Amino acid sequence: MAFFFQELVNGVTTGALYSLVALGFSMVYGVLKLLNFAHGDLYMVGAFTGYFVIQWFGGPAALGIPVPLLLIIMFVLAAGLVGGLGVAIERFAYRPLRDAPRIAPLITAIGISFFLENSVLLLFGGQTRIYNTPEFISLSSGISIGPVTIDTVQILVLLSGAALMIGLRLLVSRTRLGKQMRAVASDREAAEMLGINVNMTIAATFFIGSALAGVAGVMAGLMFNQVANTIGFIVGLKAFTAAVVGGIGSIPGAMLGGLLIGIAESMITGYVSSTFTNLIVFGILIAVMLARPSGLLGRVQLAKV
Amino acid sequence: MKGRVIAAAAALGALAVTGCGSSTSGSGGGTALKSCVATIGFEGPITGPVAVLGTEQLHFADLALSMDNKANKTKISLVQGDTQLQPSQATTVTQQFTSNSKMVAVVGPAGSQEVEAVGPLMARAGMPFITGSATAAALTTGKYPTFFRVVSKDSVQGPQDANYIVNTLHPKSLMIVDDQEAYSTGLVAAMTPVFKAARIKVDHESVPQTTTDFSSLVSKVTSSTSVVVLPWQVAANAQQFGRDLAQQHKKAVIFGTDGLFSPGTFTISGSYVSSFGPDITAIPADAALAAAAKAKYGSFGTFGPPVFAATHVIDEAIASVCKAGQTPSRSNVMAAIKNTDEPTSILGQPIKFDSHGDLINGKFFLFKISSSGKYQLIPG
Repeated sequence: MAFFFQELVNGVTTGALYSLVALGFSMVYGVLKLLNFAHGDLYMVGAFTGYFVIQWFGGPAALGIPVPLLLIIMFVLAAGLVGGLGVAIERFAYRPLRDAPRIAPLITAIGISFFLENSVLLLFGGQTRIYNTPEFISLSSGISIGPVTIDTVQILVLLSGAALMIGLRLLVSRTRLGKQMRAVASDREAAEMLGINVNMTIAATFFIGSALAGVAGVMAGLMFNQVANTIGFIVGLKAFTAAVVGGIGSIPGAMLGGLLIGIAESMITGYVSSTFTNLIVFGILIAVMLARPSGLLGRVQLAKV
Repeated sequence: MKGRVIAAAAALGALAVTGCGSSTSGSGGGTALKSCVATIGFEGPITGPVAVLGTEQLHFADLALSMDNKANKTKISLVQGDTQLQPSQATTVTQQFTSNSKMVAVVGPAGSQEVEAVGPLMARAGMPFITGSATAAALTTGKYPTFFRVVSKDSVQGPQDANYIVNTLHPKSLMIVDDQEAYSTGLVAAMTPVFKAARIKVDHESVPQTTTDFSSLVSKVTSSTSVVVLPWQVAANAQQFGRDLAQQHKKAVIFGTDGLFSPGTFTISGSYVSSFGPDITAIPADAALAAAAKAKYGSFGTFGPPVFAATHVIDEAIASVCKAGQTPSRSNVMAAIKNTDEPTSILGQPIKFDSHGDLINGKFFLFKISSSGKYQLIPG
């Protein structure tokens, strides 16, 4: 039973990362019906931001500031920088194509993905950068319940991930901006006629979605210790899958999809074999899609004819 | 800085004068060769997750080239090709190289999976290529007739490492994890029969090379599993695996193969790492060369020196062709490489190839990582 709970902790933690990235995918799709394939690379930029913050304050072995303050700076800077980058991408790459055929922004998104990946390569080189988290957050810190261990970084990821997801849910359902986002997602033209500033709402959506990816990147750096310009692709793919399985455009769906993929990966690795993890996980996902084509929490869309 | 440059220049000059050891048959080191002009290629992961290793390889290729050009009075130039350790990227680079009519030989590529990808292209173009780090046994079955390597192969490394694990570490059960690349699966295939013959319980797992989250896999390491064998190529991944082991209070020892030999990245105390290349700083005959390389490029590991040896073999082959009064071409350079017979080399062992391009009497070296993260050679 301890083994089950250890794998559950591992799966939920990884799933929380997938969920945070999937939220951005889902939000952008909700308002623009755009599959933003550059989203995984925003996660990568976030991870790099965290790395350079650590270096700025003296490196992992000789930090010049308290760790909690370092973490706050890492998260805030990554969110701000990556959020701003997301807004810039929307403004200069996607907005001019808003009324173009849907294939045009899709191809642009793939181009932006390569642009970001290769820009980071040119700026910082191709070598893997190491966070070295255990130098400032001890591996032995955290909670042990019997043989089940949850280290401090996992706790941090779980708590901050949950807080961000709850905060986003409240923002979308309870605030004026959230109402505007839902209105634009529902019918952009009608929202515009009602006086909603569509450009501002879309930019805000990009900022929030990208910021979440940036924060997820920092979390991944802290957990997995390494960052390179290529790390965004796989995470982006898994987050995209999570968003689709949960029901793309649905915020709770993205959260659920991410957690499901994380837990499924962990359990299959633990109880079957890591050899078959991707095979079985994606097999399950195909089965889910066949049974519920609009995703677990997605709603069937009525098309205007 | 200035002092370092002067020291490097002095050491290079001294080495160039002595011709850096022996040469291929027929080529006399130091003999003037008029108009011996040729182009060779370098394929390695200059960027990407293992860029540190690829850059080291490139540095040593450059070093060998500059020394050999000076010693042989040749004008061999090097064209760089970045493969990022990706077979697809290596294929693109190889297509560029083979379509370059001036190119007569290639150093690299670094990975076995890349050799698998480019071998047919090289064979079709008649391009000789010598790797300094691809060790998969399947590469030298004769299917790639223009392929050579100056390092030993996994069918030597696999059983050698497995026997060490069985006879010295005495595990009752172990986990072996491949990373789904040809290098890794080949080593698993070479090691597993040894473990099974010793009646060790083997849990064979498999994760893509792009995986960075090993927490679920580490949870499967039981209290009776005393060794985890990682035949991987990305040292940062092995480092993360080691941290996940510590985080979950697992006592298993990591045994890494040559792809993990990376003193700056993989530093989990108590782990073992094998290497196709020796620590040349410990070879007295290489002292001047090691000092020159360190002064010019900084610290290095075991990936650079074999590429120096590979480049040197090609350089000497080209020089011998010129000395015979011929213009270097892929076919005559290939023939000269086949005749290579160096009684000693930077690697501390002779370089001579068998009919399939394998190094004759090659061996691997084993290191243990100390508590300070330093790699210590295990004698034997």
